[in-house]
Amino acid sequence: METKTIITGVIGADAHAVGNKIIAFALEDAGFKVVNLGVMVSQEEYIDAALETNADAIVVSSLYGHGEIDCNGLRQKCEEAGLKNIPLLVGGNLVVGKQDFAEVEKRFMEMGFTKAYPPGTSLETTIADLKAFTEN
Amino acid sequence: MEIKNQKLSNDDFFAERKEVLQQWPTGKDVDFDEAVAYQKSIPAKKRFGVKLEQAVKDGTTLIQPRAGVALYKEHIELLKYLEDEGEADLLPTTIDSYTRLNRYKEAQVGIDKSFETGRSMLNGFPALNYGVHICREVTSALKSPVQVRHGTPDARLLTEISIAGGFTSYEGGGISYNIPYSKNFSIEHTIAHWQYTDRLIGLYEEAGVSINREPFGPLTGTLVPPCISNAVAVIEAVLAATQGVKDVTVGYGQCGNLIQDVAAIRSLESMTRKYLDQFSFTDVRISTVFHQWMGGFPQDESKSFGVISWGAAAAVLAKATKVIVKTPHEAVGIPTKEANAAGLKASKQLASMLQQQSFCDMPAVIAEAEIIMAEMTCILNKVEELGKGDWAKGTVLAFEAGVLDIPFAPSKYNAGKMMPARDNNGAIRILSCGNIPLSNELVLFHKQKLDERAAYENRAVSFQMVVDDVYAIGKGFLVGRPNGVK
Repeated sequence: METKTIITGVIGADAHAVGNKIIAFALEDAGFKVVNLGVMVSQEEYIDAALETNADAIVVSSLYGHGEIDCNGLRQKCEEAGLKNIPLLVGGNLVVGKQDFAEVEKRFMEMGFTKAYPPGTSLETTIADLKAFTEN
Repeated sequence: MEIKNQKLSNDDFFAERKEVLQQWPTGKDVDFDEAVAYQKSIPAKKRFGVKLEQAVKDGTTLIQPRAGVALYKEHIELLKYLEDEGEADLLPTTIDSYTRLNRYKEAQVGIDKSFETGRSMLNGFPALNYGVHICREVTSALKSPVQVRHGTPDARLLTEISIAGGFTSYEGGGISYNIPYSKNFSIEHTIAHWQYTDRLIGLYEEAGVSINREPFGPLTGTLVPPCISNAVAVIEAVLAATQGVKDVTVGYGQCGNLIQDVAAIRSLESMTRKYLDQFSFTDVRISTVFHQWMGGFPQDESKSFGVISWGAAAAVLAKATKVIVKTPHEAVGIPTKEANAAGLKASKQLASMLQQQSFCDMPAVIAEAEIIMAEMTCILNKVEELGKGDWAKGTVLAFEAGVLDIPFAPSKYNAGKMMPARDNNGAIRILSCGNIPLSNELVLFHKQKLDERAAYENRAVSFQMVVDDVYAIGKGFLVGRPNGVK
């Protein structure tokens, strides 16, 4: 089976780097090719990397609370760049404060994400979903 | 760009200041002489350094939260709640992440969206967008001293506005607010920016206004060996004192093994005093800060209280001057004011209950402190050697060489070769040294500790141990055991 390429990174002005390194390690371990953009990634950087590497999915992390502001418009930019229907996954601490995740999830799905994950989601869940979303 | 560990000349400083004050419209409200007069009007009981000095004399451990929201009226309400209901001894104003990266337009977007939605869309207080007068509304509304807390590589204009705005303490440093908080800022640039901040504080000192400074101890807050974060703290204290700072709080982030944590605070304090005195800064006052566990927290709030209280206990038993408190909402990020107050009260209970007890003279603590001090000496000697006596130059070269190397840092100027892991008792040890210049004896000490763990867990020493350690506390443990091992 062909190796799938995943873009990972932490969006916006967020410097939380630990989880990012662990996600990259775990996804590689699970058989994916990982292009890890690190922290403080702009929407444009995700898209450029996905285009350059012919990526199969983009995994956005956001830990610092500004996720709602930073993720807005990413799906539209993907469509405009020709990355039609590319799986967009997002997880971390997506909003400021403890909020009902069903509400938060709705906001991110409306922004065009394929999947949004609550705090505490296991790596195994993300890996299983990525395998399903990137199956041809 | 050439940096030196030398007090900035008035000519150089004031030339730069002209540019800095023009970086954003709110800079035009800063007037040094007027700000000095305003600071002098702040009563002693509301001055951060005065309260710290008293705590050092009394041997008490003060409690302080982190807190900041987008809208200033709500921010004032929040801080009042934390000092009344939460019994906080010292107050913060935590700055939002856009401001920290000088992205003031986005900070404004955050303010506007917060008005629209009725909730804070920013993870902190955009003090620079608000300017001097609103900062004064904040600082004058409270009974306790207030400090700016952030993570800002270029904090020059923010410092100007904050001190003029009535804050009497200011966190940060050229290494500790670079390596964990940025990707692309060079060490030379941030050391230079923080020499500006420290020189400004030095000028306030010369005008008779004392402002407390606090380098950021925990760095990446993830399995950082005490010798590394302590060495950085000492360097930043020396660099700050060179610019005229007279009051420094040096910090450390909890690791979770009590003996190591107490030893880390004791060695931090004694080595800071030793090096400041060596450089003739004998009039610089020192205090210490212990940060409650900075890594991943359990989702369950009751279990979170366990982690919070353990940090509070360790801080008091180490006789730290203050403790920065976490909250039961830590696993989801920014807490409600109720959750923040709850973390404070749990910590206050321990700070007062354990006041008469100390672990400082335990033989195991003294032995661990000797090891940390020996390691710090190896690192600081190398920094001094690389810089040919100049600690600013030495720091730049040390990062290039990986002599200073912070685990899990986002900065591209950090080597990232050094890897830590917990030993069988949960103390942080060095799995791979990279280019940290420890003696052979010390390297062997760490290897033996980790080999002990490997034998117990029946697996090789490896990065998987580190990954397991990162998740461990969230799952209820200190050491990340593989499946089937207790």
